[in-house]
Amino acid sequence: MSDDALEGSNEVEDDYDDYEDEVGAEGNRIVGSRARAVVEHCARALVEDPDGIDVDVREEQGHVTLLVHAAPGDMGRLIGKRGRVIQAVRQLVRAAAASEGTRATVDVAD
Amino acid sequence: MEDDVPVEDQAAAAQKFTTGLVEAFGVAGRVETEVREEAVFVDINGEDLGLLVGPKGATLTALEEIVRAVVQRSTGGHSARVHVDVGGYRQRRWEALADFARNLAEQVKAEGVERALEPMSPPDRKVVHDTVAEIEGVATASVGEEPRRRVVIRPA
Repeated sequence: MSDDALEGSNEVEDDYDDYEDEVGAEGNRIVGSRARAVVEHCARALVEDPDGIDVDVREEQGHVTLLVHAAPGDMGRLIGKRGRVIQAVRQLVRAAAASEGTRATVDVAD
Repeated sequence: MEDDVPVEDQAAAAQKFTTGLVEAFGVAGRVETEVREEAVFVDINGEDLGLLVGPKGATLTALEEIVRAVVQRSTGGHSARVHVDVGGYRQRRWEALADFARNLAEQVKAEGVERALEPMSPPDRKVVHDTVAEIEGVATASVGEEPRRRVVIRPA
């Protein structure tokens, strides 16, 4: 059966305080902050050592690359069997990035 | 680590994670979690949550995958079945699928000719099997290989 998902832009005020308020030079929120918040939240919850999670953010011409560092013993948990977990994280991050008008990719550091 | 973590604790882990995730997305969603028949059901409700459903439910499927993985990590072993829905999206979709299957089954019964449905995911096929099982005079079978596996409804 076909099902058109209720896709739409979600213009919601930034009212979450759990993440550092990242303010860019022009006073705008840094591009990809929502994508970053999503990847950080997922990664920390998936591993045994949440403090070992660190996310490097690089932005080039509106494209955000999120590089996730994890403790060596946690890499498998982050990636999952046949990469299922990391693929799901990527889908969530794509959605989060799209909602703030950018594109983001997620990589796991070796 | 404990072998059997109570299902209520698993539900609490799902609730906590999902609430944080909704906040990270910056959307105004309310997360409700309940335990039914030893399974954890997480439903996210609110306005404008299409973002969490995504094209053909792809984002919702990913969300469910992550919630499952998080619950699994919290138990470290055997964990309960976990279902995630956004604003009843899956529920409505499954009801529509059940209606469709019921109509098709009645047609098969009336015409005596088998009909195949389009390929579906295992949980969707289960909805079809379970729905048609309640109707006398027809039977179902799954044919083909994933991801092209589909349900056939036959006269019985």
